[in-house]
This record gives sequence, C-alpha cells and structure tokens, in this order.
Amino acid sequence: MNSWCAIAPLHKDPTQEPFIDVNIGGNQIPYASRGTLAVWAITAHGRVMYRTGVSTSSPEGQKWINVSIPPNCDIKQISVGPTGLVWALLWTGRAIIRKGVTKDCPTGEAWLEVKSPPETKLSVLSVGVNVVWAVSTDTRVWFRKGIDGNSAGNSEIAAMGTGWLEINGNMVHVSVGINDQVFAIGESNKNVYWRSGITPAELTGKRWRMVQANMQLSRTSSTASIISSASNPKHHSLTMLTESNTSELKSNINLHSSWEESHSAPIENTLPIKSARESRAKKSNNVETIDLTGKSYETTLKNPRAWSPVRSVGSVVGMEAQPDSDSSVFDTDSGMFFDDEVSQTAWGTCDTSWAFVEAGGCSVDTVQVPHWFSDSQNAFNSDITAKWRFSILESLKSRNNVDVDLSRYGLAIEEKGWTRSSEARLVNSNNSSEDCIISLYWHATENTGTLSVFQPDGTIKFILNLGEISSVTTCSEPGNPRISLVVPNQSKDVIKIQYMTEMEQEEWMNVLVDITSQIHGLSGRPSNNSVWAVTSSGDILNWDPLPARLNCEENGRYTKEFQVFGKNMTSGFSTALHNNFTPGCILKMSGCLFDDVTRFHINLQGPEVKKQRHKIETEVTEIPFHFNVRFDENTVVCNTKVSGNWGAEERHKLPLAKGQEFSMKIVSEIKGFTVVINDEKYCSYKHRISPETITSVLVQGQLRLYTMEYSSTSVIIGPDEMFWRMMGGYLRKVECSQNGFVWGISNDHRAWVYTGGWGGGILKGIGGNEAIHAMTDTQTYCVYENQRWNPLSGYTSTGLPTDRYMWSDITGKLKRTREHTKLLNRHWHWVSEWMVDYNTPGGVDNEGWQYATDFPAPYHGKKIFTDCVRRRRWYRKAQINTEGPWVRAGNTGLLDISISTNGKETSVWAVTIGGDAIYRTGVTPTTPAGAHWEHVNSPQALLAISTCNNIIWTVGRKGELYYRQGISEENPGGSDWKLIEAPKCGFTYGQKGSIGAKAISLTKTSAWVLLTNGAIAVRTGISKEQQDGKQWKFISDCEQSFKHVSSIDREIWAVRSDGVLQRRLGVTAENPAGTTWQMVLPANFIHVSARGGCFA
Amino acid sequence: MANDREVLREIWDGKLPICFQLDQEEIMEIQQPDPFYVMVPRLSYFPLVTDKMKRHFLRYISQENADSEMWLDYNGQPLKWHYPIGFLYDLYCGSDSQLPWTLTVHFTKFPETILLRCPNKDVVEAHFMSTIKEADVLKHRGQVMSTMQKKDHNQLWLGLQNDKFDQFWAINRRLMESHGENEGFKHVPIRVYSDDGTCNQRLVSPKNNDGSRKVLQQLISELFPDKIEVKLRTHGIMIPPDTPLQWLSEHMSYPDNFLHLCVC
Repeated sequence: MNSWCAIAPLHKDPTQEPFIDVNIGGNQIPYASRGTLAVWAITAHGRVMYRTGVSTSSPEGQKWINVSIPPNCDIKQISVGPTGLVWALLWTGRAIIRKGVTKDCPTGEAWLEVKSPPETKLSVLSVGVNVVWAVSTDTRVWFRKGIDGNSAGNSEIAAMGTGWLEINGNMVHVSVGINDQVFAIGESNKNVYWRSGITPAELTGKRWRMVQANMQLSRTSSTASIISSASNPKHHSLTMLTESNTSELKSNINLHSSWEESHSAPIENTLPIKSARESRAKKSNNVETIDLTGKSYETTLKNPRAWSPVRSVGSVVGMEAQPDSDSSVFDTDSGMFFDDEVSQTAWGTCDTSWAFVEAGGCSVDTVQVPHWFSDSQNAFNSDITAKWRFSILESLKSRNNVDVDLSRYGLAIEEKGWTRSSEARLVNSNNSSEDCIISLYWHATENTGTLSVFQPDGTIKFILNLGEISSVTTCSEPGNPRISLVVPNQSKDVIKIQYMTEMEQEEWMNVLVDITSQIHGLSGRPSNNSVWAVTSSGDILNWDPLPARLNCEENGRYTKEFQVFGKNMTSGFSTALHNNFTPGCILKMSGCLFDDVTRFHINLQGPEVKKQRHKIETEVTEIPFHFNVRFDENTVVCNTKVSGNWGAEERHKLPLAKGQEFSMKIVSEIKGFTVVINDEKYCSYKHRISPETITSVLVQGQLRLYTMEYSSTSVIIGPDEMFWRMMGGYLRKVECSQNGFVWGISNDHRAWVYTGGWGGGILKGIGGNEAIHAMTDTQTYCVYENQRWNPLSGYTSTGLPTDRYMWSDITGKLKRTREHTKLLNRHWHWVSEWMVDYNTPGGVDNEGWQYATDFPAPYHGKKIFTDCVRRRRWYRKAQINTEGPWVRAGNTGLLDISISTNGKETSVWAVTIGGDAIYRTGVTPTTPAGAHWEHVNSPQALLAISTCNNIIWTVGRKGELYYRQGISEENPGGSDWKLIEAPKCGFTYGQKGSIGAKAISLTKTSAWVLLTNGAIAVRTGISKEQQDGKQWKFISDCEQSFKHVSSIDREIWAVRSDGVLQRRLGVTAENPAGTTWQMVLPANFIHVSARGGCFA
Repeated sequence: MANDREVLREIWDGKLPICFQLDQEEIMEIQQPDPFYVMVPRLSYFPLVTDKMKRHFLRYISQENADSEMWLDYNGQPLKWHYPIGFLYDLYCGSDSQLPWTLTVHFTKFPETILLRCPNKDVVEAHFMSTIKEADVLKHRGQVMSTMQKKDHNQLWLGLQNDKFDQFWAINRRLMESHGENEGFKHVPIRVYSDDGTCNQRLVSPKNNDGSRKVLQQLISELFPDKIEVKLRTHGIMIPPDTPLQWLSEHMSYPDNFLHLCVC
C-alpha cells in the first residue's frame, strides 16, 4: 500500500483539463457493500467528476464520469462524507450539496444550494458523518447543525442541516476525520489544532488544542534547503509539500489496517510526471497561496523513491513487513533501542508554518488521545507570565514587609527532622535485584540526613550519610524506574534503586536532589567555572568548584587534612595529592616511630602505570622525591626514580631516634624540596624532575601518624568531594566557557542556551519557576529487519540456524523488534509510526533493502546475483516533553558547538547538521543567545569543531582535521581552511596508517583529539603562530577507549566509552599529554565540558 | 495542575506574628504574665500552634481552670478554631492590618453558643479531613480522596501539622489535578465570607458555558449582582479580578482545599 499508483488523465494531453481537487469518502454509505468508496474530483474547467468502481480492493477504480452541475456554478472544492454526503464549495463562497446519494445512486440526484453564514463567504468546507465544518474567508469557523449522515440520502433536511453555528477560534483550514474529529490550521500562528471533546452527543466539541507537530527532516536529502530556507523564495512551497506528504502518510498508515490488499492489475501509465502534478493539486486546494514549481517538488521531497508515483506505477508489492514470528516470542531483551549514531547525525527538525491539513482516514481515539495532541504546556506557560499572577506573587511577597521586630517571636512549630520510606528494589551490578525498604531521614535546620536501606525483614543493609552522596541521577530502563547514587566513600559501585512506580521514582529523585543540594549549599546558577556533564538519560549535571573553594580558604591557602590516625603504615598508606606538588605546596605530618623501627620512607610519587609483562600489573615509575630513613644503616637517603630507574642517592645523617615523636614538613619550592623536621630545617633536595608530576604520597614503615595535612595555593578537591548537581532539562551536549556561557544541543540538534535557572521536569520548581521553560527533544529508535535468500521462496525471514536475529540491532547480536521497543518513561511519546529508512548509509532499493553476500558484510543498495542476505532499517521517533532552565537559540540545527572567551570577547562556533561551520554574532553576557549565525564556507561537510584563543579546528566527515586561517577582529570568520597532518597511529592499536578524528577540544597550546577508534591523541605546540601545532602524542598509558574529551588549560576531562567520567592528571607544560587518568564519577555519561576552567 | 511552585511556596510560608495576652480576669497571681509572642503559619489552625502558649500561661491561672478548654478572642470576638488562622486574620483585621495581632486568651466562660468544643487535636484532624473530602466531592465527585490510602491522608495532616511543604504537597498535588478529559474541576470549592462572618457557599464551575475559563470578576458579579467594586481578599492579599478561578483554586486554596475569600 505504501506506494503510488497513477490514475490516467481525462484527456490524452493531461494539461488540457487537470484536476484541482479530489476527495474520498463513502466508506460508510448506508447498506452499501463493505469496502465501497466514493471519489469525487473537480477539474480546472469546473466539471465535477465521479470515479466509478472505487473500493478498498480496487482503490484506483474504473473510470471518471461527469456529474452535471447547475449553471453559473464554478466549483472550487468538493468534500465527501463517510456516508456519501457531498458538499461542494463554489468560487463565490457559496455551498451546494448533492441530494440523494445512496448506495444505488452513488452520484446522487440533484444539487441544492445552502445558505452561507450571514455576511461571509466560505473558503473551506469538510463533511463528516453527522457534521459539516467550514471556514469562511474572514477566518471564522462554522459548524452546520442538524446534519444526519445516515439519512442524508433520503432526506433533504438531513443532508442540508438546519443552520450555521459559529465556533470560537480563527482558522484558515479545517478538515473532518472519519469519526467526526476535526483538525484545523490556526490563523495567527499556522499551527495544527485538534478540536477536543467531540463526542456523538456534543459534536461541536469543547476547545481547540494545539497538536505538537514539529517537522522532522532528513539531513541526507533536504537539509540544505532548510538551512537556507529563510532566504529561499521557495520556502513556502517546501513546507507546503512536505506537509502534504506527512498528512498523506498519516492516512496511509490508517489504511493499512483496514484495507484489504489490492487485487487489481496495475495500470500502465505513460505520463508519470503529469500525474505527480495531479496528486499535488489535490493536496493544495487553496492554490492561490502556493508557489507550485515542479522543481521544488522534485528537490525537496523527503524521499522521492518512496513517495513519488514516478517509479512505482501501479505496483503495490508488500511494503508492509510480514508479521514475524518474533512478535509472539516474549522478548526479555526488549527496551529502549534508540540508535545513538542515527540520532546523532541523520535527523533534524524545523519549525513549520502549516497551511493545509487533511484528516483523511485518520480515526482519533477520543478516550485516549495521543500525548502529542496535548498542549497543556502552553496553557501553563501563559499563566506563568500573566499579569494577575505577577500581581499575586508581588503582593504575597510584600506581606513579609511588616514593621514588627520579629526577633522575640518564637516559631510555633518546632523544626523536626522527617523521614520518608518506601519499598523499592536494590539493583545489583549483574542487573538482578532484591527487595528492600529505603528510608530517608532529613533534618533541615541541622542540614544532615541519612538514607538507610533495610532488608524486607527490617535488618539494616547499609546506611548512607546524605552528605557523602556525590551524584543522584536517573538510570531507568523502560518499565523500571530507577535512580542511581554515587557514594565514593561508601562503595565503589553505583547504588541503583528501582522504584515501583515512575511517580515514586520522580518524587524521590526530586527530594534527593533537593536535599543533597541543600547540604552542599547549592542553589540557582552555578559559578562560571563549573564543569557540565550529560548522562545517557539526558540528565544534565553540574559540578561547581566555587563553594568548595570558599569553604577551605585561609590566607590564600587551601588545606586538606587526611584521616591517618590509626591507619597501618607498615604495609604502606597512600593518598592522592589532587593538586600535584607544585611549588608552594606543603605536606605536614606528625607521628611517632615504633621502638623497633628499622626503616621508613615517604614517597612523593607519580601515578601508578599499568605494565604488561607476563601479566598485567601496576607500578609507579616516577618518584620525584623519595625520603628514606634507615636506622639500620644510620642514614637518610633521598633519591628520585625516573622511568623506573633510581638516580644518584643523596645521604644525610639521621635526625630522629627510635620511638621518638616527631613532626615533619616537606615544602615544594621553585628549585627544590625543603624538609623541616621538628621545626628545624633538615635538608634541601633539588628537583630532578618536575614536582608537577607528583600525584600522591606514600608513607610506609614502622611508625604511626597522628596527622597529615596537605596545603596548596589552589583549591584542593578530590573526586570524592565533588558533588554533581542535576540542573534540569534534557539535552545531548552541553558546552560551557570560562565566563559563564553555557549552550546545549538536544538530540534533535536544536541549540539551547542556559538561562541561569535550576529545575524543571522531574525536579519541578526546585529553584523557583523563573527561567524554566518548556523543552522538547526527539530521538530516533532503529531496528533492522534481516532476511536471507532461499532458492525456493526467495527472501524470507527464515534465516539459517546460525544467522543473526531476523529483527536485530545494527550489529545483529541483539534481538530488537518493533513491537518490543518501549519508551523510557511517561514523559516520552511516539511521534511517528515505524517507517522504513530510505536513507540508510550505503544506499537502499525501492523498498529500503540493502543487500550483501552474507551477514555481516558491506551492504549495498542494488541487488546483485551473489547477494544472499538483505536488511533494512526501520525507524520510529519519540519525543519527550519536559522543562528546564534552557531557551532555544536560533533555528539552525547543530551537530557540535564550541565556545571560547578571550578577555571580553566571546566566540561561539558551531557545525550545522548540514556540515557547515557557522559562528554566532552578538554573544555578550547580557545576550547569551547572541543575534544570528554567520555562515563560513567549508570544502567538506564537517562533524565537530573547537575554538580557543581565536584558533579554530574542525573535523571533516572523513575524519580529517582543519584549522581556520586569517581570523581577526575585523574578520571573525577567517579566510580559509587548512588541512592538518593526520594523527599517525602508534603501535598501541596495531593499525597502520592514520585514523580519522571524530571530536576535538582545543586548549591554548594543545589539541585533544578523539579518534574514531576511541583513542585520544594530543597535538602539542599550538600557538598563534603555529595554529596547526607541531607534533602528535598518543596517550599510551592505557588502552581505554573514549566517547568524548574536553580540555581547557591543564584541565582535561574525558568520558570513557563505558560512561565513566575521568580527569587527566599530571598535565604540565613539559608533559602536555599528562600522566594518568583519575576516575571522577562512575555514571553513564555521554558528554562533558570542563571549558569553564574549573580550577582556573 | 498546581504547578506554580513559587506561588505555592509563598503561600505556604505566610506567617503572622501574634501576641497572646491572658485575660485580666483570669490572672490569679500577683505577678503579671508576659505576653507570649509567636510566629504562626497562616495556613495552620490555632489548636495546632498553641501548646507552648498554653503552658506559658497555665501557672498564672487558677488551678481549677487548668483543665478546662482554652479559647481565644480578638476585640471581644471569639475566634473559631476550625478556620485557618490566616483566614481569621483576614476576616477581622484584613482591612486595617495591625501587627502583631493581639489576641486574648481565656480559660473560663467558654462561649458554647459560638464556638465548637475542641478537646484535642484529633478533632481538628477530623474536621480538616472532612473539609478536604467535601472539597474533593465538589472537584472530582470525591474520586481522588476515596482512592487514596490511609497513609496518604495521614501525610496530608502531618504535613500541615509539622509545616512540611513537600510532605503535604506530595499528596495534595493529586487533589489538585484535573481528571478525565475535563480540564478543570467539576466545581470550585469556594466560600465567600462577608465581614460579619456569614458564609456564602455555592456551586461554582471554573468554566463558562462556552468552555473558556471563568475569572474571579465573573464570580463576583454572580454573587453580588447589585454591588459594584467588590474586592476579595485571601492570604492577606487582594486577588486581581482577572485571575482564573481554576488557577485560584489550585494554587490559593487553604490546605483544607477550600478557597476562603473575604469580602472587603
């Protein structure tokens, strides 16, 4: 059914009398045989034509017959109701109806004129079962009272109705569906509306509700025209035509279910192009507003092969997949199957002004209206900005301004802690789960609380201090609402709690985020130096270093005490020095030596590095300062280990006696270390390698420590002390800059700017409703249908026993079916049906299939003799409605964005979904969203971009790297792109040649490049003079692969491919690639931006 | 849905400074008791917030009256405990606001004809819950309250008693949702009081016949067809006449789910 069949024109020359309108109805003509349909059409000469023999089994019918019309009637539009009732609209704005349409006389008997509403002309009319709706030229909406479709054939009154009733609302177009549901296009905003509350008893319905109808467009076919649409004179026809495709699509989907397959033979068509125009004319009956150039039709059509009648004359070979045995098998692996890569690159959306709507065979279930029919968001938004609301809020707030000294007034209700408990399930790392009871205790005035987890019998499993929770995020799976807590001090694993209902999960999420933020004193806008990260569930997290910085500052120094008392030093105690041990750092210790002490040593050392010998083991290869007190040798040895080799020893005499209490201080200075023992300077030791490579301290020997204190000139924050606050909203990427500009990109590639608020969505109004706006996002879910060729039956969904699942993901390893693809939570809803993707990379044939010799092999679009298997991609789109502290910035769809500040100037560069580089003008602190995009020509379609210090690097679609030349204040767009030497892959990955890049992040002196294989390469030596840098370095200390990297100055943050957030340690001027990764947060991240310069 | 948290929070946090003074006739000690000052949530009820005050005055009164029920008056007008405190203030002092609100405490001569007896807080709870139920009957034909569990009812009461916004609204949110395809309540639970304390309660729909939202001004002209310039006060503020009734009910109802509006 999913194809076009051209109908022969009236004359040999189809331009002689083209059709201007066609309408289908009559599927419920009283007593008519099942499947009967009535098709009426209007020609350009004003003749009314009726198609004989149309039925569901023969949708193309037999021939046109002319139905005579009264003299002086020029008909413009015709509408056929489901019961066969025909109304026609004249160019003069009057309506005539066809009397006596019955099953035996489908063309009716005579025309009757209907009085128009007073003092107005009708412009559109649409007939339903028991209703006729019309729109007049002054955009008023009219409802015809007293229509009774079932007796319309026999009774003039039933066909004509009794009078017009005006319905509130101003519309330009109206269309009635088969169950009398009404759709319309608004006059002012050109949105699609649906009339809610229409029931057989109340045919006029209650109110107009806006339908969420965002256009989705494929980049591969038509984004070029969307991007340029603002200046494109054909813009109007573009939206017009794509829109009519969509409405057609809608009715087609409906027809699948109700129609039998056609049994008639295809009709030969010699003039396909003309029929294309014919069908177009049908769609556009308000012809005067549209520019109908055949050209734009051809170029902007979403998928010509699928929709144009040109290639598929009369053939209706099963586009619909055969019902598969899969659906009957219960599929435990079902779930959220959206394909990140597809969401990432192939689709964009654009806001559309609608001009035409055709309800066609669309039957809306009024009891359960689709989510996207709801516009409750809009109602809410209008209230929030209403004048009366501000007046109320203002007066409420001013109530507190009383001239009473309130200091002597006690509180009537004592602040008490409160508890909240709930039954839940604790999810283990292997995805099994066990029942538990979780209980939250919170005391607001003391700012403390605990989260206890009990077993069902009431015994305690564990208790968490709420202050130790470093992040609260959602990690739901469809049907399993979950939250995850990271508590680094308590357990290495993420604690996952599954709730019984989504509501419960959201309430707990809200409460936990609220309380943990209160504990950390966080609210409202985070500081400019924050790190932003995005999880795979679209949660946006923020870590703000400012509160921690303010908390522990003393005389410009930051001190951190380590808990060492009672720790066993004999086997060694090691702790991280988060700021390394740069000049200015001091380590103080006090303790007591054992009586039988023989040796003890203090190592200021680098990170542990994985070594692969006969087995994988870790080893510290760099020890810049080794201080070894040897009572057995009666000496103190100072030394340095470089690359695993000790240097020359420096020996000093013994300062301490066995069993003695002591205090000790190691000070890092520019030239070297100074050691002070018992407040007297003991020795100095010149730096042999940079103290910046020191990442931890190790104390080992027969002694006991009382205290250990680490102080530094910059703030000391370990990953276990970072609290990640959920900010609200739903995005794919968030990029920030050093002076507080934060931009986000959603999965549908729209750009958003952070408003400074906090909350929205499940956080509700956590930080007040100011700056919280409605957000939507769309994701594409994909499944692959696989088939194998069989000499007897051709391609079937019966594979070999060893074959992949016949419905699978892209790899074929996981079973995926359309039926079992579920939405994540109640905020998501489907906005499309399952459709065959005709834009699958590699090319497809007419039915979306790609062929290959076997699974898995390169796929190609044209079947050749050796092909034994084929697959095709099905996709379906889902939309989320939520709120968050974000506003839309511009209408251009973006792939990547990068913001950098250079003094007062801020530059925002981005890559559009079309692969073009653009930059935003007019971005200032007061207008963070900027003014508009400037386009920069690029030779290749681009994928990613990064800017820093007015240097711009981009990644081309083939993985090549460019930088932009000639950027200056006068010419912020630069002059041309220059290719950068590709990173040569080292031995580590065992691949020869170069590997393409997929993302980049620039600092002032280096570029961090994420390669397509997940490895990270660093380009060093970047400067204003040498913008392409000097040399590639590879991070060789690990074989981890990554999803994303973000860098600024010496802060490098990355997201590992398993979603763990990491930070690079040991980055120095001499060693710009750093020494090792430190794990920050084990959650399921997909993006991070540290470009606020967290420690700057 | 009541989703304007900022307004909800502002209303919840509304407090009144009250100065309690013991009736001169009841003082049995030579020493005059100090007045008792306290900040009281506008949304609460007097029996929930007067325990400390009662203990404060007990030692100044005759011991034989210590067990009898305490009651309050303002300017000789006994205060009905079953109304929210903020409403009582709006009713008696709304037009001429004087803070702190000075109330007189009595332990004798209980005005049986005017006040209901309130032996303990359970009576307040019973009254509170029955008012919520009445409101739910008006809003949703009682469907929401009847589907709630006992612990939910309890949480509403404890939230109010302990001044816990989140605890209260976690449940109250459900009472403020519209059900079915109707957007809006069946009727708005609303009571309009004249300055003499007489109450006017009618069936009020939040919508006009054409489906548009009914605003406060329309209600005023229905209730007082012959008066012009009627203003209504609640929570210590004048309500703009163009406020939609549905929104008003969702956001500005007292915890008992009724809008208590005073004519001024």
